[in-house]
Amino acid sequence: MSTLFNKLRSAALRFANPFRKQKLDYDLSNELESHLQLHIEDNLRSGMSPAEARRDALLKLGGHQQTKEAFRDRASFSVLENLFRDFRFAIRQLRKNLGFTSVAVLTLTLGIGANTAIFSVVYATLVAPLPYPHPEQLVMLWSNFQNSRGSVSVGDYLDWKNQSTSFQDMTALTGGGFNLSISGRPEIFPARIVSPNFFRMQGIPLAQGRDFFQDEDRPGNDHVLIMTNAIWQDRFGSDPHIVGKQLRLNGELYTVVGVLAKGMPDRFESHLFLPLAFKPEDINRTSHQLFIIGRLKPGVSVQQANSELLGIARHLAETFPTSNKGWDASVTPLHNAFTSPNTIKNLWLLLAAVGLLLLIACVNVANLLLTRGSARQKEIALRAAMGASRNRLVSQFFVESLLLALIGGIFGVALGWVALKFVLVVLPQYSVPTEADIRLNLPVLFFSLVVTFLVGILCGCLPAFQGSHWGLMQTLKDASRSVSTSGQKGLRNVLVVFEFAIALTLLTAAGLVIHSSWKLTRLELGFQREHLLTFSLPVREERFSSAEQISLFYRQVLERLRAVPGASSVSVGTGLPVAGTSITRFNVYGQSTGDPSARPATAYTAITPEYFQTLGITMESGRSFTEEDSATGVPVAVVNQMFAKQYLSGLDPFAQRLVVDRPIPGRRTGGPQATLQIVGVSRDTRNGGIRENNIPEVYVPFWQSPWLASNVIVRTDRDISGMATSLAAAIQPLDPDLPLNRLRTMDQIVDESLAGDRFATILFAAFATVALFLAAVGIYGVMSFTITQQTHDIGLRMALGSPRNRVLLHVIRQGMTLSLFGLLLGLVGAYFVGLAMHSVLYEISSVDPAAISGVAAILLITGALACYIPARRASKVDPMVALRYE
Amino acid sequence: MGEKKDVWQGTLALMVLKTLQALGPLHGYGIARRIEQTSGDLLALNYGTLYPALLKLEQEGFITSEWGVSENNRKAKFYKLTRAGHRQVEKETREWNETTAILARFLKTVEKN
Repeated sequence: MSTLFNKLRSAALRFANPFRKQKLDYDLSNELESHLQLHIEDNLRSGMSPAEARRDALLKLGGHQQTKEAFRDRASFSVLENLFRDFRFAIRQLRKNLGFTSVAVLTLTLGIGANTAIFSVVYATLVAPLPYPHPEQLVMLWSNFQNSRGSVSVGDYLDWKNQSTSFQDMTALTGGGFNLSISGRPEIFPARIVSPNFFRMQGIPLAQGRDFFQDEDRPGNDHVLIMTNAIWQDRFGSDPHIVGKQLRLNGELYTVVGVLAKGMPDRFESHLFLPLAFKPEDINRTSHQLFIIGRLKPGVSVQQANSELLGIARHLAETFPTSNKGWDASVTPLHNAFTSPNTIKNLWLLLAAVGLLLLIACVNVANLLLTRGSARQKEIALRAAMGASRNRLVSQFFVESLLLALIGGIFGVALGWVALKFVLVVLPQYSVPTEADIRLNLPVLFFSLVVTFLVGILCGCLPAFQGSHWGLMQTLKDASRSVSTSGQKGLRNVLVVFEFAIALTLLTAAGLVIHSSWKLTRLELGFQREHLLTFSLPVREERFSSAEQISLFYRQVLERLRAVPGASSVSVGTGLPVAGTSITRFNVYGQSTGDPSARPATAYTAITPEYFQTLGITMESGRSFTEEDSATGVPVAVVNQMFAKQYLSGLDPFAQRLVVDRPIPGRRTGGPQATLQIVGVSRDTRNGGIRENNIPEVYVPFWQSPWLASNVIVRTDRDISGMATSLAAAIQPLDPDLPLNRLRTMDQIVDESLAGDRFATILFAAFATVALFLAAVGIYGVMSFTITQQTHDIGLRMALGSPRNRVLLHVIRQGMTLSLFGLLLGLVGAYFVGLAMHSVLYEISSVDPAAISGVAAILLITGALACYIPARRASKVDPMVALRYE
Repeated sequence: MGEKKDVWQGTLALMVLKTLQALGPLHGYGIARRIEQTSGDLLALNYGTLYPALLKLEQEGFITSEWGVSENNRKAKFYKLTRAGHRQVEKETREWNETTAILARFLKTVEKN
């Protein structure tokens, strides 16, 4: 009927009208009054009596109030206005009950805060796409041996690149440490050595200078360098003329050609980039040193690329059986290619844990609202009697819970921001991809908003349902005494049971990781971890040309370090317990060798004679090395227990000789063979990492197999923190350019190895503590309310001679019955938690009686304490006061 | 009263507009009486329903209101058509005529069969 313009005009006015409501109401009253007067005058003129005239006029108008209501409905959008009114009423209500409001808001703040923090990590790590153009096209290409994926040889890479059709491009990268003095002090910087197309292919922009040229992958052309913005700012003082400058890396001059743009690359582990040039001797198929990233052609799936690459790899294995037999290949998405499955699983589990936490918070708040709803029964009944429709009553409940959720949401996001900083502190470095930008960004805020609304609706459901079903008559009948009906009480009890069940589930998760961590910290390490300082000496290849020179250098190092006050024992080794060592292939002398690549593998570590003593590793049998085991002595070996168990069972170890490929540093295979006489068996030392099984290991005398870049281990008899400088000063005269690289205590190495477990333990324990607190608040609230309601009964019992203790017990029994039901139900949850977490736990069965009974006891005690406080109050009730109550 | 017809939704607005077009500025009571009289007292108009309708027309910009003094010196709110209101009467009348004509023809054919 009316045009769009007129409708819009009308809508605008209706929106604006709530704000000039009083004027409208006043106008209408006047208008209706004048209408009635005009009508009455007319009626009088037509001969009615004054009373009759007035009655007729009122009748014809059809009710003063109804007209006003209809007019008001038309004047503005009544739904909006009602909502507005509900909100104002809700704010008044919340301000009136500050105690209730603060408990509810605090509860929701904890729930939403924890979710915001954890979701920030999950989103950045697992959900958000990689920050590159067309990230779905980026894949990793792996060489697989016996189903375990690994890095790629240069020969294979070049063939893959030439023969495949699924890829737009491929880029190869490897890593290295480079000695660089920026401010006079030598330091080792990790660097990425990449194909010149690395930045182009991934789409990483530069801020200054230029990208690598395509021909800079030729030896001789490759002395150029690109650095990140972060290192340019922090270490080069944002030098505006950095491009074109020359830096001395490992003694050779490199020209800086570019600086990357600020942002994501600044989080990379390496801040220097050099071009990868293949020397002729690099092009082989035995040295697997490259990581390969590929960019798929548009429309090509990962599966298609995978099957193409697999075909090429199988063909190569047939053509080059000596090097490639048993090797195949695979293609996987680049996203999270380097994130351990345990980390990914832990993140999802943590998200589930905070989800449960939020559920507890919701149940708590719903319970508080129900409790308060009962107290407000009279108010609701009155509103219903005054003609408030069921919809209006229900909407009032929802508006209240939404308002609570919104306040909780605002505080929750603030708490989440703080909590995230804490999470980032305990998050082990480089356990999540460096691409992941973990912060409170828009998607996270959107998630928090959605969670907040869900919470508001979830919390409002039960009170609204309850509120709208109160029979008017019954309520008014009961109104003299605010005793809640058994149905409402039942509902609240069910909620408490439910809450305890979830709390037990969450506590079990924490109990399991704590038990697992406890087991890990109590593991038999096989060495004395205290008072040990380790570092590596990155001696450059050009310095020494012969084994004798290397041995001489390290003899000098040992001699100088032994003179440092506090150094009670010093030794050199090519590997370290827990941190790892090299791997090689061997066979027991006299046993058939067959295919060389099918021979068994073992860890291989060259050590100076004092090594076992320095580390506190005891010998199981036989002897360790002495100075007699020199370069001119008989080649000898010590094996660990695992080696003896796995390869020498049933044999006399000291009658055996081993044929070992002496490994070349940084290579997987190759090296000259040596025949070694076994002279001792040593204790196992967690050489595969704290969480892993021990692996077989062969120790050889360092003087018979010297390596350039080796580790130095120092046992101190004093505080370890002051030692680093005096050790560095002792080595300085031997080589002023040589830094002490990766200087760590053995305690640090062990802790780093357990960082992932510590991360999970701290967070699960924190969330479980919050859950415990919320469950306690929940049962406390319900018990206090129940007791307030029973004050009359309690007074009566005590007046009739019931002792105080009986009253106390009665109340606690009520509360504990609820807790016990909750615990029983929670066992189901605990069972599923055990199943879900099994793979991230260390030697803990999925049903762990120790963890479950432990947390159940904690939960029960907390529940009992929460009941005790209101129970004590109840038992202190003066019977006279209680009977007079109400 | 039971014999009288109720005013159905939508037509009341047109009646109000037409009344104002014919009589010029008029107060609510006057409009109500006029509609009753014109209908030959066949319509039962609940006077109260008139006011939300007037408010709606005013919000849509077809009429404006102003406080004034009635013929027997009473303060009353007078409504009058705006320019848009005049156009709206023409438009609505045309549409209404078309609708009734179609309906009339339709009813005739149905009767024939």
